[in-house]
Amino acid sequence: MIFKGQVAVVTGGATGIGRAIALKLADKGASVMIADINDEAAEKTAAEVKEISGKSSVFITDVTNLEACDGLATATAETLGPVDFLVNNAGIAGSSGWQSRSHSTEEDWKQTYQVNVIGMSNVTSAFRSQMTKRRGGRIVNLASIAGREGRPSLPHYSASKAAVISLTQSTALELARFNITVNAICPGLLWTPMWEQVGDRYAQDNPAFDGMSPREVFDTMVAERIPMQKEQTPEDVADTVAFFVSEDAKNITGQALNVDGGFFMR
Amino acid sequence: MAWLHVMEIMDFEGKTAVVTGGARGIGRGIALELAQRGSNVLIADTDEEAARDVVAEIKAGGTQSSFCETDVTQQWSTDDMVEVALEEFGQLDVLVNNAGVGGAIGFTKRKTPTVEDWQATFDVNVFGIVNATQSVESYMVERGYGKIVNIASIAGRGGRPGFATYAASKAAAVNVSQAWAFKLAPHGINVNTVCPGLIWTPLWEKIAEWRRSTDQQNAGLTPRQVFQRTVAEMVPLGREQTTEDVGKAVAFLASDRARSITGQALNVDGGIRQN
Repeated sequence: MIFKGQVAVVTGGATGIGRAIALKLADKGASVMIADINDEAAEKTAAEVKEISGKSSVFITDVTNLEACDGLATATAETLGPVDFLVNNAGIAGSSGWQSRSHSTEEDWKQTYQVNVIGMSNVTSAFRSQMTKRRGGRIVNLASIAGREGRPSLPHYSASKAAVISLTQSTALELARFNITVNAICPGLLWTPMWEQVGDRYAQDNPAFDGMSPREVFDTMVAERIPMQKEQTPEDVADTVAFFVSEDAKNITGQALNVDGGFFMR
Repeated sequence: MAWLHVMEIMDFEGKTAVVTGGARGIGRGIALELAQRGSNVLIADTDEEAARDVVAEIKAGGTQSSFCETDVTQQWSTDDMVEVALEEFGQLDVLVNNAGVGGAIGFTKRKTPTVEDWQATFDVNVFGIVNATQSVESYMVERGYGKIVNIASIAGRGGRPGFATYAASKAAAVNVSQAWAFKLAPHGINVNTVCPGLIWTPLWEKIAEWRRSTDQQNAGLTPRQVFQRTVAEMVPLGREQTTEDVGKAVAFLASDRARSITGQALNVDGGIRQN
């Protein structure tokens, strides 16, 4: 129980990768605040966390709304205590209907940046004083291997994730003097509800995937692009988050680590 | 709290690790960290006396350890190292290629590196990794399991004036790691690199001596003062890194917690270089 007594916040913590992160941190003893817009799923995940570590709470948070983020920070401190680990995981791949469009619209660009980049900055700002006051804390930002290089599809998504890596580096330098580490994780190919939609879009964009189901597109990508020839899982990402927030990583900051079976090496 | 932590993460119980250059400095830190997490450790080094001390320390902690005199620049020697590990412990799960040098003997006294300095640096820092990896890969492939962690340096992350020998060899180490990561990935073997930042080790003491003799700004300072000054100027987190920090990063990358991570280079440097 290496995180016993520690308080974690996971944005987008209700489902997918965020949920796996919340459960992993709980498994190691942390109390976890689930910040999400999906209240039903958030309550369900919070109940699971409570079963494991005893303490959890939910705050319905739209990360694009600065007031909501401040509310999240206050609610965390009041219900669980001041934050030790902030995991910025909330993210989207486009505006409504993005998966059925072959080109990114201005709305795709705006909303993706609003959530993935500005939302991340909003939440980080909201928790800043809780961490700086105590001269310590860990922030882990979820980027993507899409942010490591250009792609033929979903340019708005790739660009937003590249921005996440850059934001991680700036925040790391800004907060280093407060003994706060800030790192990013770039997950590779994970079969999540988001990827199901990505597969849909790739099948339309790329002749190589013509007529394939989303899962077939996904399996083809894994076979062709992942040296380890295996898909990654939310647990893989969660294990890496647990490393970055632990004492073991106290002198690691400003890094982006690919958890991608060797898809992208850097 | 420290013992609780150790008790919880026994990732390496029943496993065997080989640490080249494990007798001193960062290698020693890595060996002790893996041992604390349950691993048996073979210390592969040229310095028998220092290696014996680490072996004793590990044994006192309750896991098995032994020494194998190893010159990583010789393929026959790394072949022998792997054979000894298998004979002594019955299996080999983790190879940590840590052995490294800053130049040929006397490099700290030279302003400009000689051909011998280039040769010695590449022989150990690059070919040493290649040799040891080649010695172990067929065993790991056959088994369908293995973890290789190579120790490079943040010096390998970008060229700098001065000490180009060392920096270039460490950049090559990162690249070589990627090549083997690709090659071994289909066989369930992870190959990653750790790039340590500023760590007070026997090697850094030599580097500080070298800096003192080549840079006016450092004249009159002790090696330790040169080091501290470098830390103050370069590290965003404001503190030196330790051999334990590197040991812990290696322990993560060599564990099954990092099962989906391969071909990566992780800087453990307090934020000096971002990646």
